[in-house]
Amino acid sequence: MLRRPRFLIIALVLVLLADGSAQKTVRASADVQTSVATDESIAIVVNQENTIENLSMKDLRSIFLGERSHWPNGRRITLVMMEPGQLERKAILRDIYRMNETDFSRHFLQGLFTGEVFVSPKTLASPVGVRKFIFNVPGAIGYVRASDVDPTIKVVRIDGRSPEDKDYELRLQPRLGTK
Amino acid sequence: MSTSVTRTTRPGPLGPHSLIDRFLYGISRYSSTLLLLMVFTVETGVVIFVIRDLRAADSEVQTMYVGSVIGLRGIGGLQYDAQETRRATLYALTTNDSNLQVEYADQSRDADRRVTNGINEYLGRAHTASAIEVGKRLQSDWVAYLKVRDEVLASILEGSIKEAVDYDLKGGVPSFDRVRQDLEEIKRQYDEQASQQLADVDESSRRSAGRLVGVLCFTLLFASVSIWAIQRARMLSALKLAKLQMDFVASVSHELRTPLAVISASAQNIADGVVEEKDQLTRYGNVIRNHTRQLTELVNQILLFASTREGRTHYVVRPMSIEQLFESVLHNTREVVREAGFTVDVQVEPDLPPILGDISALSQCVQNLVGNAVKYGGTHGRIAMRALLQKSEIPHGDEVRITVEDHGIGIDSSDLPHIFDPFYRSPSVAAAQIHGTGLGLPLAKSIAEAMGGKITVVTKLGVGSAFTLHLPTLKKGTLQTETVSPDLLTRR
Repeated sequence: MLRRPRFLIIALVLVLLADGSAQKTVRASADVQTSVATDESIAIVVNQENTIENLSMKDLRSIFLGERSHWPNGRRITLVMMEPGQLERKAILRDIYRMNETDFSRHFLQGLFTGEVFVSPKTLASPVGVRKFIFNVPGAIGYVRASDVDPTIKVVRIDGRSPEDKDYELRLQPRLGTK
Repeated sequence: MSTSVTRTTRPGPLGPHSLIDRFLYGISRYSSTLLLLMVFTVETGVVIFVIRDLRAADSEVQTMYVGSVIGLRGIGGLQYDAQETRRATLYALTTNDSNLQVEYADQSRDADRRVTNGINEYLGRAHTASAIEVGKRLQSDWVAYLKVRDEVLASILEGSIKEAVDYDLKGGVPSFDRVRQDLEEIKRQYDEQASQQLADVDESSRRSAGRLVGVLCFTLLFASVSIWAIQRARMLSALKLAKLQMDFVASVSHELRTPLAVISASAQNIADGVVEEKDQLTRYGNVIRNHTRQLTELVNQILLFASTREGRTHYVVRPMSIEQLFESVLHNTREVVREAGFTVDVQVEPDLPPILGDISALSQCVQNLVGNAVKYGGTHGRIAMRALLQKSEIPHGDEVRITVEDHGIGIDSSDLPHIFDPFYRSPSVAAAQIHGTGLGLPLAKSIAEAMGGKITVVTKLGVGSAFTLHLPTLKKGTLQTETVSPDLLTRR
């Protein structure tokens, strides 16, 4: 009678161990897929009427931080962000703002209050929404995955590099050896 | 002058409308089927005319529908889409949600695309100068409004609501008003066009109705005239027949009375003992015999003609040679020819093939021709009777042509079409007191046709006439005797 509960406990442990290893296998394969999907460039896009072709990372950061209010052609800059939680937004916060969500919110609240920030970012839910917004607003600037770019918007090179280049900096996943 | 003569009716002065009556005689010759055919042709033409008229009216109505009703519907759609463009733009003002604003901007752009396409379609359909002018103005005003609309949308999406409202009030409202006025102008033009086309269709309908009434009146009139013409043609035909019959009765009475009078007078003289000597008796006997034969021939002729007309004659058809036929003819006409002081020159081509026919009937036919030659042969005193083999009009067929030629008075061209009409006698012949019944040639023709042949005549007034009987030669393998009715023989 005493041997039977022990046997059951051992069997249960074995089953749980076996189940856990199977789940790990599934997660591992999902991670591989995610890494393949997320190893993609993020394009900085503007309205087709915008004459800007290239921006330095410094200028881009300045624009995204809201420190500039107008383009050289006099058009007002409108910053377009995607909703929190999106991979593209995380990458932009990481590579351009170098902030987390809390710091990002605090920066704009504080900056608008003090007048140091001139632009309040518009938040859109999807890459399609971003594209349409930028298509309608001549001074808009935003970002989408390189695969989401279409002829209605224009891609701006960063430091002379386009999203197809290998050493292009803005990617969904941080590049090895960079921050 | 060679003429194939067929049976014809005689035109005559039977009323005041001699030209019309001549025309009606012509119709009655070929029966009223010709007239009915003309009526049918005219009716068909009328029906085609009416159908074409109705189709033209239908086409006009369809053009009006396409040009105006569909056009008006298209303008209604343009007005709605233009309003939708503006409405969606203004809806974007009512929210701060950028996602919704983008959605409204999208709706506005969809609607403006439909308007742009609609304007292009309108310009493609426009044909009049005024329509093209207002279409181009609408296109220009719409582009101007879209520029303002784009600025308004951009301002809304940027979050500059005040700026957007300012843009709309200063630029959007006036430019959209111009677009609205342009659309109203186009609509007004369509209304005018529709009214004009409606008036055109009304006019066309009235015209069609008038034509229809006219055509029906014409048809009614034509049908009435046709019926009158048919009736009159029949009446004229009946009148002519009655006149010919009356002439015939008068002629036959005269032809009967003359020999009867001679016979009666001769018999009376013999009975009264006036004639006693044998020579005198012989002469009186010859007179009575000749006039009796003349009477018999006349009666036979009439009976034969009556029987051929009724189709009661039965011919004994058998192969015969031309020599047999000529022998019979010469035998039967010997007395007549001799008494008239004529001689007959006979020429028969050697080795003529046999012919198929009733020797008695054919002999009667040629006798009639010889009798005519004697009667109308003048004072020349010679009659030629020839038989030749010739190619017939039927392919690969031969025929024997028997010609009886005289050198007498000939036939006037006005009489020529009627010489084969029963009871017809030329007025000049009647006036010259030349006796006859008007049955000799019709009977000859009837017999010739019953034997599968025909009679033609070549004549010249004052020179003479040559009547030719055409008879098909006998084909091999048909050498047998049979009795047939004339209808059967003619069909061969």
